[in-house]
Amino acid sequence: MLAYVIRRLLSTLIVMAIVGIFVFLLLHLSPGDPAAIIAGDNATPEQITGIRQRLGLEDPLPVQFLRWFGHIAQGDLGVSIFSNEPVLKLVGQRLEPTISLALTTLLIAVTLAVTLGVLAAWKANTWVDRLLMVVSVLGFSVPGFVVGYLLIYVFAIELRWLPVQGYTPIAEGVVPWARNLVLPSVTLGLAYVALIARITRASMLDVLAEDYIRTAKAKGVANQSMLLKHALKNAGVPIVTVIGIGVALLFSGVVITETVFNIPGIGRLVVDAIAKRDYPIIQGVILIFSGVYVLVNLLVDLSYTLIDPRIRY
Amino acid sequence: MTTRRHILKAGAAAGAIIAAPSLVFAQAAPTRARTLRAVMHGDLASFDPIWTTANMASYHGGLIYDTLFGIDSQNQPQPQMVQSFNLSDDKLTWTFVLRDGLRFSSGEAVTSKDCVASIRRWAVRDGGGQHMFRRVTDTPVVDEKTFRIVLREPYPLLLDWLGKAATNVCYIMREKEAATDPQTQISEYIGSGPFIYNRGESRQGARYVYDRNPNYVPRSEPASFMAGGKVARMDRIIMENMSDPQTQVSALQAGEIDFLEWPSLDLIDTLEKDRNIKIEVMNQSGTMGWCRLNHLHPPFNNVLARRAMLHLTHPTEVMKATFGNEKYFRACGSIFACNTPTENDANTDWFKAGQNIDRARQLFREAGYDGRPVVLLSASNVLHMTNAGLLYQQWLKAAGVNVELVTSDWGGVVARRANRNPPDQGGWNIFFTSASGAGYSNPVSLAGHASNGANAWFGWPTDERNEQLRDAWAAASTPEARMQAARAMQENAWNYVPHVHYGQWLAPSAYRANLTGMIGMPELVPFWNVGRAG
Repeated sequence: MLAYVIRRLLSTLIVMAIVGIFVFLLLHLSPGDPAAIIAGDNATPEQITGIRQRLGLEDPLPVQFLRWFGHIAQGDLGVSIFSNEPVLKLVGQRLEPTISLALTTLLIAVTLAVTLGVLAAWKANTWVDRLLMVVSVLGFSVPGFVVGYLLIYVFAIELRWLPVQGYTPIAEGVVPWARNLVLPSVTLGLAYVALIARITRASMLDVLAEDYIRTAKAKGVANQSMLLKHALKNAGVPIVTVIGIGVALLFSGVVITETVFNIPGIGRLVVDAIAKRDYPIIQGVILIFSGVYVLVNLLVDLSYTLIDPRIRY
Repeated sequence: MTTRRHILKAGAAAGAIIAAPSLVFAQAAPTRARTLRAVMHGDLASFDPIWTTANMASYHGGLIYDTLFGIDSQNQPQPQMVQSFNLSDDKLTWTFVLRDGLRFSSGEAVTSKDCVASIRRWAVRDGGGQHMFRRVTDTPVVDEKTFRIVLREPYPLLLDWLGKAATNVCYIMREKEAATDPQTQISEYIGSGPFIYNRGESRQGARYVYDRNPNYVPRSEPASFMAGGKVARMDRIIMENMSDPQTQVSALQAGEIDFLEWPSLDLIDTLEKDRNIKIEVMNQSGTMGWCRLNHLHPPFNNVLARRAMLHLTHPTEVMKATFGNEKYFRACGSIFACNTPTENDANTDWFKAGQNIDRARQLFREAGYDGRPVVLLSASNVLHMTNAGLLYQQWLKAAGVNVELVTSDWGGVVARRANRNPPDQGGWNIFFTSASGAGYSNPVSLAGHASNGANAWFGWPTDERNEQLRDAWAAASTPEARMQAARAMQENAWNYVPHVHYGQWLAPSAYRANLTGMIGMPELVPFWNVGRAG
């Protein structure tokens, strides 16, 4: 097991290195020039060239890459071209909102989705099942920003129950923190609920058709115990897998949700950086995202051993 | 063994890690009533208003720095940090004496050395400053509060440059920061203005916090644009970076923000119906849409083809497509923008006649246009540029021109427009951009008004008479003489056609109706003088 974990961690570094090369090349080969943006619309070409030289953007691409890679190897993600702030500091400032949003989304989505999926499987082919599946298809089909605007209109503008936008750090109180996260978490979680609920239903239906479930029923095991203790645990592997895959969905969703709800998280940071061609931020954040994604999948793989003791690494 | 208690402990520890940065920065904040939350047109990407021409950096500068002079609502420079000044009889030496009590927020007194260093750094980057410093021989410091600017020839625009509101504004920094290479950003933001930048409470890319400077001594005159008393009536100004237009409007309606610089015009009807919101065009000289032509390559290296573009352009179609409501745009035939001090109607018969595709077709033919593709660069993330691209494509096709519309984001346009190669080798023929009407009104400081060939702005026009007239405008000592020079410049410009305009728009701002004392002016959104009723 330990050897497996070490192997996977080493492979994470390789994945991150490959991602780094791709991101660097894509960014530097795509049109756009941060120096021209910095210089402003009134700048002369000579002023822009001067800024490019200062930023090292006039150096050959391999030189720029080796310089960046050398810094990365020392744990330094570089400095923002525009704000002059270290990328690690900027990411650090944005970590709390993004982690908060991701965790509350996961909490809401997984709780709701697994409950709905189990309920749909238990009541398979009844109106309850059909209603839940229609709702989940809707959740998956309606774009996040549409859901977000609707929720803002109803709960923030009309009812005034929740704030339109923004983020309150947890240090300023759990209640304001939670109030700011309700609408974005529900918005972001809806697609996730739909995805997990459908997988949970399908997986539960397979398990509920197994002989040992029929035996349990024959023995008079209560429905709740049969569903949660016997069936759900054995249906867990595909559910956990889809949660892991969904983390990538969460990353892309975070970008849109943070924009709609004005949450100062990592998603907003990278979108703003792309518009300005702030290369160090874009490269740094994508590198971190890739590392987190690989690690999440490692955790998912390891969790299989907890759900199914037959799985060994 | 993993127990519920372990999980709870791990959860608490994770929460503490997440909360730690906020706990460190948490401190008492002014009340909501004494705080103004504003959403501006963009993010404050850089904090050095000399290093960049970005308006957001200038807004930041306006809050924390002060200026020696400031233009008033009549566009006249008035003393701001300066107590008194005089010009020698030979008109070559300006002497300035600073006001008493000027202090930087770090506590140090503002001295002549700070002013001279700031002026010198600004003059390297700013078009007006560069023009002025070609005539400056020395900037001697006389004493702690007195300094001079010595010229080799009279230069009537000097005070206008020191007090202008358009970027780059001549903000006064400490000598320590002003000594920084103008090509390098400063890293400390200490000024002597009405507000202090609160770095600890700010979050790059998210919000920027400014606290009232308790030691600032405003002038006694009433506030007027950049002139007069800059009285901070709010304890705190927060500039939120909120990019989504719908969220901006919702937040304003819900009272979560107080000021929205540029609400989406699609949503302006919603705001107009809200009694708690006031809509106002703060900048009456607006913004000009600008079709820049490349003078280096065919067909626009031929003046007839450039003149064809005047007849090809519909004066309002791009505006109509982009802004809809006619309250917020106008046709403008002046090369200096309309509703500005230099607006005039010299040589605008082509404009008064309106769009004439047939005439454009004839001129392209006379120019010897040979059917080669004309490359239009269009930015897909800026609506007026997207619409301009599509409409010019249509008009050019109607005039018999073979058009290649190249679409990218603005960053892509900005990179490609610097390429001087022929269009089929990575260059271009036309790109679209915009500039503030106030900036446009100045024949010298707007780089786009220069026609000095290889040294000119993108498009690289050459016209010696234009350069002579720009100098004549700068040398004019009375408003009448300046207007005469401006008319001559426009007369000449619409003959050799450096570029074409496709309209002028007036972006309205929206703010909570209980705000008082908003100062509407071009180029800057000043938050001094703003209070809250009730």
